[in-house]
Amino acid sequence: MIGRINQRTIRCAILCVVAFSSTSLTVTSSSARADTSAESIKLLRSLTAGDESTLAAAKAIKQLSQANDITLIQSLTAMKGATPVGRNWLSGLANSLYRKSGKAQTAELAKFLADPNQDGEARYIVFEWMTTNKDALRAELLANMNEDSSPELRFLAIEEAMKDKLEKKELSSLLESARHPSQVVSIIEKLKEQGETVDQSRQLGFLPNWRLIGPFDHVGSLNFNKVFPVESDWANGALKDEYQGKTEAVQWKEEVSKAPDGDVDLAAIYANEKGCIIYATTEFESEKDQNAEVRLGCINGNKIWVNGKLVMSNEVYHTGTQIDQYSEPIRLKAGKNQILLKLCQNEQKDAWAQVFHFQLRICDSTGKAILTKGR
Amino acid sequence: MKLKYHSFYKSAVIGVGLTAATFSQASRANADWPMFRGPNAGSVAIDAKLPTEFGGEEKENIAWRTELPGRSVGGVIVVGDSAITTSSSGMDQRRLHLFSVNTKDGSIRWQQEFVARGRPFCHPTSANAAPTPASDGKHIFAFYSSNDLACVDLEGNLVWYRSLSTDFPKAGNDVGMSSSPVVVEGVCVVQIECQGDSFAAGLSAEDGKILWKLDRPKQANWSSPTIVKMLNGDQVVVMQSSEDLLAVSPKTGKVLWEMKLRCSSIPSSFAAEGRLFVPAGGLTAFDLSSVGASPSKLWDNNKLSANACSPLVVGKSVYTISRTVLASGDLFSGESKWQTRLPEAKSIWSSPVVAGNNLYVFGDDGRCFVVELGDTEGKVVATNDLGEAVLGSPAISGNAMYVRGVSSLWKIAKK
Repeated sequence: MIGRINQRTIRCAILCVVAFSSTSLTVTSSSARADTSAESIKLLRSLTAGDESTLAAAKAIKQLSQANDITLIQSLTAMKGATPVGRNWLSGLANSLYRKSGKAQTAELAKFLADPNQDGEARYIVFEWMTTNKDALRAELLANMNEDSSPELRFLAIEEAMKDKLEKKELSSLLESARHPSQVVSIIEKLKEQGETVDQSRQLGFLPNWRLIGPFDHVGSLNFNKVFPVESDWANGALKDEYQGKTEAVQWKEEVSKAPDGDVDLAAIYANEKGCIIYATTEFESEKDQNAEVRLGCINGNKIWVNGKLVMSNEVYHTGTQIDQYSEPIRLKAGKNQILLKLCQNEQKDAWAQVFHFQLRICDSTGKAILTKGR
Repeated sequence: MKLKYHSFYKSAVIGVGLTAATFSQASRANADWPMFRGPNAGSVAIDAKLPTEFGGEEKENIAWRTELPGRSVGGVIVVGDSAITTSSSGMDQRRLHLFSVNTKDGSIRWQQEFVARGRPFCHPTSANAAPTPASDGKHIFAFYSSNDLACVDLEGNLVWYRSLSTDFPKAGNDVGMSSSPVVVEGVCVVQIECQGDSFAAGLSAEDGKILWKLDRPKQANWSSPTIVKMLNGDQVVVMQSSEDLLAVSPKTGKVLWEMKLRCSSIPSSFAAEGRLFVPAGGLTAFDLSSVGASPSKLWDNNKLSANACSPLVVGKSVYTISRTVLASGDLFSGESKWQTRLPEAKSIWSSPVVAGNNLYVFGDDGRCFVVELGDTEGKVVATNDLGEAVLGSPAISGNAMYVRGVSSLWKIAKK
């Protein structure tokens, strides 16, 4: 019996080595077909959007179910490096396998959870399986996860830690670990209760210093995609001091947000002007070439360019907004980086549609602030 | 952390498991409750015998309560002896759960889990798990505000998954989406209407292929598509928006008829007794007897308006809820019959259901008003407190009612 299990385990391991050795497969044809479990896993890991991809994946998951030769740990391991869509297919597979055999694999799952190099989403599922109805174990595990590589597990760990009454030193330590804005804000509030003041805007990496110009015409919400001279001049590095605005010549204004959440209240600055566009520009001085994310909260239509490249565009008005509502990856170069925002207000008259604002921060992919040089 | 939502959306987004109709609106007591508002979206189990009094400190007539992780404002469905429901949890409610709960004892039979690939944000009172799941008896279709759509078999094994926000990246609404899917003739129909990529689509129930896609008005819409069986036996899917009302063939997406009509964007339409009832101008009834042509208007009555809950029909009466007022009208003439204010009700988002001659409607504070429906009055015969917020619509199967609270699932039946 043991010999048979070992043989099967070895065979599966070989399959998976073959399967996971390439992550570049892209499903390009409805005829894409996986005849072996190794091929099926490889296909699921590389899934993209679209019908062809979905059809191929549906065949692959069926093949895996019939072949029944992939283990739970292998399905979880395969999530590392898989596409976001692929990870959900693999998560579906893993959940089915867990129901069949997971409860007998406690040791293997614990080992998987403890490995920070495994996929964070896969480790989170394992954490849930292991800690369902086991509050003590949950608390014990989370106590060591404040710095976990999985943002989700780190979030849970800090949430758990916040349940306790914490001293100033513990809160300060937790603040350095926290990434999600809601938790950062909550910790700063608790520190304030203990007499410790933290610059929340700086902690989260909001950009407070802006040059604003407008209003430009946006009556009928027609000009979201119109290239006003500000845009083209900015792209050419030749901004002028004055432009023809909606009704008259307009000049740049300096604005420094003092709000802890970096909010810039355009409705207040521009006397609740409706049917208009405001441009906002700033410089961000990076210590080095680095990957980053630009994160925007804005209840109005918006576009963002970084160093001449359009990185964000949302023609949406007056739904919800919050910190980090929109996130996009960017590449910062060492030295000065130029950022331009186009902010569009429509003409809705409802009391709830008068807000015109934005809040923007730069951070790494985990949400940790990246500060402009000298801040 | 600053959250900004305007009051319209606050009121709209929660209208959730609320909303979806035919010629015979009432289900039998032992049938499945396969999608939002049950068989034919009728919301009625005419033979079911439910207790009028339940809950409270004595937990009277509570067969079981099962706590579930995360949060849900969607409804529950029943397939065989499984109650199916969703929830969302974790950071930004990105974790998407699907549960099958044994109706006999409340134990969790299986669960599936995914991660939101679309926008997970919603109003604090709502949840990513806002749409009610649907079933064709072979599959379960779990849909979320983030436009993640998963199909599993009745054992919970993944059949296919689709991130419709990966397919259509501008689909989403940051106060939350809540339109529930329907399944008809092997097609799962979703209505994703927002200011970005706004569309309705029919996906193959077997493999998730998009069979058809229809561009829709770029306006937020939380109402659900509705299956309507025509007199000739054809089934069509009716959809509404703040700009139009239309019927499409479920298999092809071909528009069979459409009309300009300012419909409500939260409660959904339904059909009964050869009529289509649409929350528009209060309530508007259309004649469905002419196959293939746009239905002609029979009547409208602005005193039968519905702000969040979907209307329903019992016998010869139509019932609507506006804020906290239950109103009754004549099915055939549209004339108002009576209205009753639900005592001390605050806010109601959960679409009501009917068992026998009693209407059950939950306030968002978890209090259920039981109203005996009469021809001349609606009499509140009981108010029952579950002590947990309820925003999704209940399901009825056998002589039991299944209620999805925000954090648990309840079975209510006579002990």
